[in-house]
Amino acid sequence: MTDFLLANSWFIPLYGAIGAVLTLPWSLGIIRRTGPRPAAYINLLMTLAAFVHSSIAFWAIWGQPTQKLVFNWFSAADLTIPLTLELSPVSLGALELVTGISLLTQVYALGYLEKDWSLARFYGLMGLFEAALGGVALSDSLFLTYCLLEVLTLSTYLLVGFWYAQPLVVTAARDAFLTKRVGDIILLMGIVALSSYGEGLDFSSLQNWVTTAPISTWTATWVGLTLIAGPTGKCAQFPLNLWLDEAMEGPNPAGIMRNSVVVSIGAYVLIKLQPIFILSPIAEDVLIVIGTVTAIGTSLMAIAQIDIKRTLSHSSSAYLGLVFIAIGLGHVDIALLLLFTHAIGKALIFMSAGSIILTTSNQNITEMGGLGSKMPATTIAFVVGSASLVACLPLGFFWTMQRWLNGSWEIHGWLLAILMFVNALSAVNLTRVFRLVFLGSTQPKTRRAPEVPWTMALPMVGLTVVTLLAGIAPRLWPLWLSPVAPLADVDSPLISLAMPLLISSGVVGLIIGSTLELRRAWSRPMQRSMRFLQDLFAYDFYIEKIYELTVVMAVSLTSKATTWFDRYVVDGAVNFVGLATIFSGQALKYNVSGRSQFYVLTIVIGTCVLFVLTNGWLF
Amino acid sequence: MLSALLLIPLVGIAAIGFLPGTIDPKICRRISLVAILATLIWTIWIGIGFDPTAPGMQFSEFVPWVPWMGFNYHLGVDGLSMPLLVLNGVLTAISIASTPGDLHRPRFYYTLMLLINIGVTGAFVAQDLFLFFGFYELEIVPLYFLIAIWGGKRRGYAATKFLIYTAISGFCILASFLGVVWLSGTGSFDYAPLRSAGLPLGTQILLLVPLLVGFGIKIPFFPFHTWLPDAHVEASTPVSMLLAGVLLKLGTYGLLRFGVGLFLDAWAYLAPWLAVWAAVSALYGASCAIAQTDMKKVVAYSSIAHMAFILLAAAATTQLSLLAAVCQMIAHGLISALLFFLVGVVYKKTGTRDVNVLRGLLNFSRGLPLIGSLIILGVMASAGLPGMVGFIAEFLVFRGSFSLFPVQTLLCMVGTGLTAVYFLLMVNKVFFGRLSEVTIDLPQVQWSDRIPALILSVVIFILGIQPNWLVFWSEPRIVSLVTEFGQPQAGLLTPGNGMGDDRDLGFQPIKSEVTQ
Repeated sequence: MTDFLLANSWFIPLYGAIGAVLTLPWSLGIIRRTGPRPAAYINLLMTLAAFVHSSIAFWAIWGQPTQKLVFNWFSAADLTIPLTLELSPVSLGALELVTGISLLTQVYALGYLEKDWSLARFYGLMGLFEAALGGVALSDSLFLTYCLLEVLTLSTYLLVGFWYAQPLVVTAARDAFLTKRVGDIILLMGIVALSSYGEGLDFSSLQNWVTTAPISTWTATWVGLTLIAGPTGKCAQFPLNLWLDEAMEGPNPAGIMRNSVVVSIGAYVLIKLQPIFILSPIAEDVLIVIGTVTAIGTSLMAIAQIDIKRTLSHSSSAYLGLVFIAIGLGHVDIALLLLFTHAIGKALIFMSAGSIILTTSNQNITEMGGLGSKMPATTIAFVVGSASLVACLPLGFFWTMQRWLNGSWEIHGWLLAILMFVNALSAVNLTRVFRLVFLGSTQPKTRRAPEVPWTMALPMVGLTVVTLLAGIAPRLWPLWLSPVAPLADVDSPLISLAMPLLISSGVVGLIIGSTLELRRAWSRPMQRSMRFLQDLFAYDFYIEKIYELTVVMAVSLTSKATTWFDRYVVDGAVNFVGLATIFSGQALKYNVSGRSQFYVLTIVIGTCVLFVLTNGWLF
Repeated sequence: MLSALLLIPLVGIAAIGFLPGTIDPKICRRISLVAILATLIWTIWIGIGFDPTAPGMQFSEFVPWVPWMGFNYHLGVDGLSMPLLVLNGVLTAISIASTPGDLHRPRFYYTLMLLINIGVTGAFVAQDLFLFFGFYELEIVPLYFLIAIWGGKRRGYAATKFLIYTAISGFCILASFLGVVWLSGTGSFDYAPLRSAGLPLGTQILLLVPLLVGFGIKIPFFPFHTWLPDAHVEASTPVSMLLAGVLLKLGTYGLLRFGVGLFLDAWAYLAPWLAVWAAVSALYGASCAIAQTDMKKVVAYSSIAHMAFILLAAAATTQLSLLAAVCQMIAHGLISALLFFLVGVVYKKTGTRDVNVLRGLLNFSRGLPLIGSLIILGVMASAGLPGMVGFIAEFLVFRGSFSLFPVQTLLCMVGTGLTAVYFLLMVNKVFFGRLSEVTIDLPQVQWSDRIPALILSVVIFILGIQPNWLVFWSEPRIVSLVTEFGQPQAGLLTPGNGMGDDRDLGFQPIKSEVTQ
């Protein structure tokens, strides 16, 4: 039985897709009598099936060699596109994480969106989301992965645009789609190029192809950069990071998925592509630079936000920046562990944030306070989630960092500095949010704040327990993805100091966060420099303004200029010819005089002119 | 076999012609629908009997027509024309079915629709240059009347513009055809013998250029395109669907059949510049589409951008890219027909197509939720979202052309990226947001407004998920289009990537690609 389920693991992503299709009668309004609830239950059931199936498959594959499933999808002329799936502990583990978080999120959404009239549409989109994510987790083909990433882009667009009547949602959905699409198109360029060089698009065959190094460094760099572009958009990395923050206008359960697993899936693809980057050191360096810029920049942006979801989403970008650095350095296993710990911790924090938003009908943290005693489960979830994201002893991030900094990998001073910086700022920000939301006096909007209903509390508490246990994974992780056993360099002073320094950075962050003067009323700092900094961070370094003035303006001006050219020059010329014909005809009609002498004269003159014109060279 | 494809609609025309003038328009529609469905079934029957692996033309019919002039009645189908015949049948049927039931002058209208079908079918199956030209011209007249009688406010202007442009197109093509017949000295307009004529390169170029202009007007490419947005805006929905879905394909079909088929040397010589032309046209169309405020104009300009990909693929003339050209024709036919249909429904229900007036149409209880969802689906298909037929067609185009023309291909891909921009701006303005006061009391959407769109969507999905069916007729012998009679081109048709071992992505001057 387990073998059968394992062999048919390819079916797991289809559960979500089937669920999505089955919701159509409700979301299209064909069935109205029952209300949208049955659609939600169908999807929950499908996701539960997917979770159980993937859990069994994961258990069955543990310790087994990797299996490949190949579907011959399309072949024409010299091109064959097989859809290859890989069944390995890594891919099935990723799949289990996806289905698990999807299951919890969907139960959670039952409470969060209880009174929403388009519940069925939401569950349909979540099913699509889950299917695409699961597909990427299993896929061993760059082509298939690209297709599924595009489906993810589409479903992100539709989920962010879920409440499409609100103006902010409209722009958020548009920006999310277009930003990701920029990355995707560049990625497609890379895929077309790779495909043209022969050798197929499976990750494994690409790995083999790389070892023969058939292309010049210059070309390899270009291809490498295009391959980075797609995940950069998906993981909300600089310069394609702004969509994630805007996307927080969508419903929160989708936000849970988006900040935990969806942003991770881009990095997961990068992990799969990492062997290709050995062709081009520049591409690896670019990964590190992107990661560093994003990690530092978005950490700073996060501390100036007053929207609870936005501040957390910026921190997602920061953690994904760390993952990018790890991949750029070739520390692939660490990247995977970072993704795992971040996904679980961030999902938990977002569940907690969703509970707060639903209870207070508010996302502005300066208008909150005193929720700690009223919503115990939510508070515990927030604390546990936060602790698991900063290097706090028994939890996931601590063990991941310990694994990274224990001397198995080559660690540079700058890397440690970045880690400390991100960790400290993360601690500052989470402490700040915690103090504003849960401590202090009650505000008008938090006065009546009961704990959330069981549909939301149950997945939240469940995930809290999982987060507490998740620290086991980084400790036991067998480093499957690293081709050679990492070096051991335990003696260097940097290594021996690394963990204490990191922990102390977290403590410093905690202290700063707790002593920071918090302003509940919306007031501005007195000093001009402080005010400048606050604005700079709060408005995301004005990146949006810069885009508006450069890319958006360029496209819009070009299109206006082209349209003008089209209308007045191209079409104008055509109309001019037409008018000229009509006018000349109108003018010439006065020659129709009815006198034959005049006609003869015209003919003679015309013949002469023609003769001169054609035989002009004679004279 | 093939003559029946022309005769069945003719019988339909006769049947409609014998009806009294006071007849209910719906009966006319029913009769023409029956005729067209019979043609479609017959087409599919031919398709079943079609052997994709057999060389040359199939189901050939040859009757000498005017022997001393060299005209023959010669029909035949191959992998290039077979899918287009089916597309023609499907889209004509859907167009006729989606014509409103209370049309004025119904007998004339349906006669013209069937005449267009005959013209297009004839052009696709004609194996004689003069016969092709006759059918090509035959389809112009009905379309002129369809725009000029049942069109919008500026229908006279649009129809005349269309007529003049297409007449010039026909003139150019005729000049080229006469030239090739006279200069080759075969004395016959029959297609196959002309292919092996082996004209010198200079002559070929001289003959290819008017052909390119002629078909370039029809497809249309920049700068010959300005008739298209006007014609689309003024034409009624079914006519727009036919125009975008089928009639434009005559141009690309002509390019492949006659441009590549008759003047392969010249084609190879000009190919880099044709690819540049494709890129310019694609970017130009996309760029214009961004600034349009009329939904139909957005779709029309996107049509220009997407048709340019076919030229890119045709320019590359690798096995894959020729196949891709066929796929892109089908994909564009289905997707643009779907979009024009849906925009037509929006216009019918709201009375406007202005993106600055319409807002919030996705509203569940008082808007057009299903139509809106289908439009989102349609624009995603057009933007090349995987799982739908547009993606695989564009992927094949890019993959097939990249090795020969990397820079031009990348520019065309930027054009694909822009598709998402203009369509998303349109969808966001029209369907998202709060329902505007202008459009608050919308009439009920009938199922007859939905079913054609649903059928097209399903086909778009199925061919996207199972593209093997898309290439079934064309795949095995698409190469014969280029090699069978012409001299095999060393550089153009290598089974691999067409570039030998020069695998550099580099940016060499494009001219160096040319194989002489």
